[in-house]
Amino acid sequence: MKYVFQFGIVRDHLPELLNGAWLTLRLSFGAFALGFVLAVVLAFLRGSGPRPVRLAVGGYVELVRNTPFLVQLFIIYFSLPELGIRMEATTAALIGMSLNFAGYATEILRSGIDAVPKPQIEAGHSLGFSRLEIFRHIIVFQALRTVYPALASQFVLLMLGSSIVAAISAEELTAVTNTLQSTTFRAFEFYFVATGMYLVMALGARAVLHAIYWVVFERGQPARGAWAR
Amino acid sequence: MKRRDMLIGAVSGAAGVAALTAATTHSAFAQAPAGAPAPGAGGTLDRIIKDKKIRVTAEVTSPPFGILDKDNQPDGSEIATSRQLAKDLGVELELVQVTAPQRIPALLAGRADVAISSLSITFDRAKTVMFAPPHGALSIVIAGAKNKQIRNAADLGGKKIGLTRATLEEATVPKMAPQGTNIVMFDDIAATMQAMVSGQVDAAGMSAFAAKSVADRNPKANLENKFTVTTAYYAAAVRPGDFDLLQFLRTWVFLNKNNGVLAGIYKKYTEVALVDLPVL
Repeated sequence: MKYVFQFGIVRDHLPELLNGAWLTLRLSFGAFALGFVLAVVLAFLRGSGPRPVRLAVGGYVELVRNTPFLVQLFIIYFSLPELGIRMEATTAALIGMSLNFAGYATEILRSGIDAVPKPQIEAGHSLGFSRLEIFRHIIVFQALRTVYPALASQFVLLMLGSSIVAAISAEELTAVTNTLQSTTFRAFEFYFVATGMYLVMALGARAVLHAIYWVVFERGQPARGAWAR
Repeated sequence: MKRRDMLIGAVSGAAGVAALTAATTHSAFAQAPAGAPAPGAGGTLDRIIKDKKIRVTAEVTSPPFGILDKDNQPDGSEIATSRQLAKDLGVELELVQVTAPQRIPALLAGRADVAISSLSITFDRAKTVMFAPPHGALSIVIAGAKNKQIRNAADLGGKKIGLTRATLEEATVPKMAPQGTNIVMFDDIAATMQAMVSGQVDAAGMSAFAAKSVADRNPKANLENKFTVTTAYYAAAVRPGDFDLLQFLRTWVFLNKNNGVLAGIYKKYTEVALVDLPVL
C-alpha cells in the first residue's frame, strides 16, 4: 500500500510532544526518588525489623510485584475516590509509579544487603553498633554499590513503563502521541518519533546514572564496585 | 560435551524456526496479512470471497454498539451488524478487537478489511478512509452528576471534562468548550465512564446511549444528560481505494435498509427507533 510519509506534521506538534516528554522525565525521576527512599526504609525493615513488620513488608513487595501495574494505577485513580481519596491523574501516576518501583527496588536492595560480607556485620555488632547504625555505616554503601546496575535497569524500566499512565489520562509522552495520532491519522510518523524520544531519554538516563555511579562509588574509593572498569 | 551442546543448539534452532513460522502464518487474533492489496487493484472483495473470511473491527467497550456479554463474547449493535454483513457475503467473520483510537489505524494497517465500530462520518475521517452510506445515528451529549450545574457549553469553563481519544466527542467538544475548561483524555470509553462515576471528572462527553447505560448501571452516581453537543450518522469504513468493497457495502446498506434488518438491529440494542438514514 502506497503510504506518503508526512513527518512535517510531527514537527508542527513538536512542542506538545516535548511537553509530554518533560512530564515523562519528571514522573520517572520523581518516582525513582520517592520509590528509592521508600525501598531503603523497607529493605531495612525487611532485614532488621520485628517479625510482623517483616511479614508486612514482604506482603507489600509480593503484592506489587505480582499484580499488573495498570491495575494498580486503576485502583489508585478510579477506586480510591470511592473511599474518599481523590487525586489528579498526574499525582496518581506519581504515587503509582513510586509504589511500584519501591516494590521492585526493595527486593533488589535486599539482595545487595545480603551480599555484604557477614563478618563485617558481626564486627559491627561486637563494636556495639545498633542495627540502624550497622545499616547506615556498614551495609548501605556496599549494598548500593553491588546492586547499582540492577537499580539502573529498573529505573529505565520505570521510565518506559511510565507510558502506561496514559491510561489514567496523565499527559505524558505516550498519551500526547496517542491523542496527536488519533486526530491527524499519522500513526506511523508519530509513534516513530515517540519511540526515538524514548530511546534518547533512556540512553541519556543511563549515561547520567553511570556518571552518578562514578562520582559516588568509584572516585576516591579504594575497593572496586560492580561497574568498575 | 560438544555433542550435547550441538544437540541443544539444533533443537533450539528448530524450535525457533517452528515458533516463527507459527507466529507469522496463523494467529488467534487477526494480524496483518502479507500486505493489504494495492489500492485500485480491485483485490479486497475478491480476496475476502476467496478466503471465505472478512475481518471487521470490534470495539467492545462502547455500549450499546459493542459490548462483552455475560459469557465475555463480543455483542452489541455494531457486532450484530458485522455478523449480518458476513452472513450476506457468505463468509466467516473474524472480529479484530480495537479501542476507539485504534479503529481507523487497524483498518489502514490492513488488520481489518472493514471498520464497523460506530464511526461517525466527519470531514477529517473522510480524508483518510472511505465511508459507506450510514447505517445508524447517534448523538453526543455531555453527561454528569445531577448536582453539577452545566446547562450549556459556557458552563463547561473551569470544569474537568472527560473525553475518549479518537471519538466524535473528542473532535467536537474541545472546539465548543470555553477557555479554562480542563479536558482530560482517556484511551477508551470504559475509562471515561469510570472517571465520571468515580468523580475524577465533573462531566464527560459520550454518546447518549453510552451515557444512558452508565446512568442505569450506576444509580448511586446520580448521572444525567446535561446537553446535546451534536448528532451524527455513523457508517462502515474501508481503506482508500477498495472501491469494490465500498460498492458492495453501498448495495448491502440499500438492501438491509429496505428490508428493515438494520432498523431491527438498531432497535434491539439501543431501544430507540432508527431515524431515516440519508444516502451517501
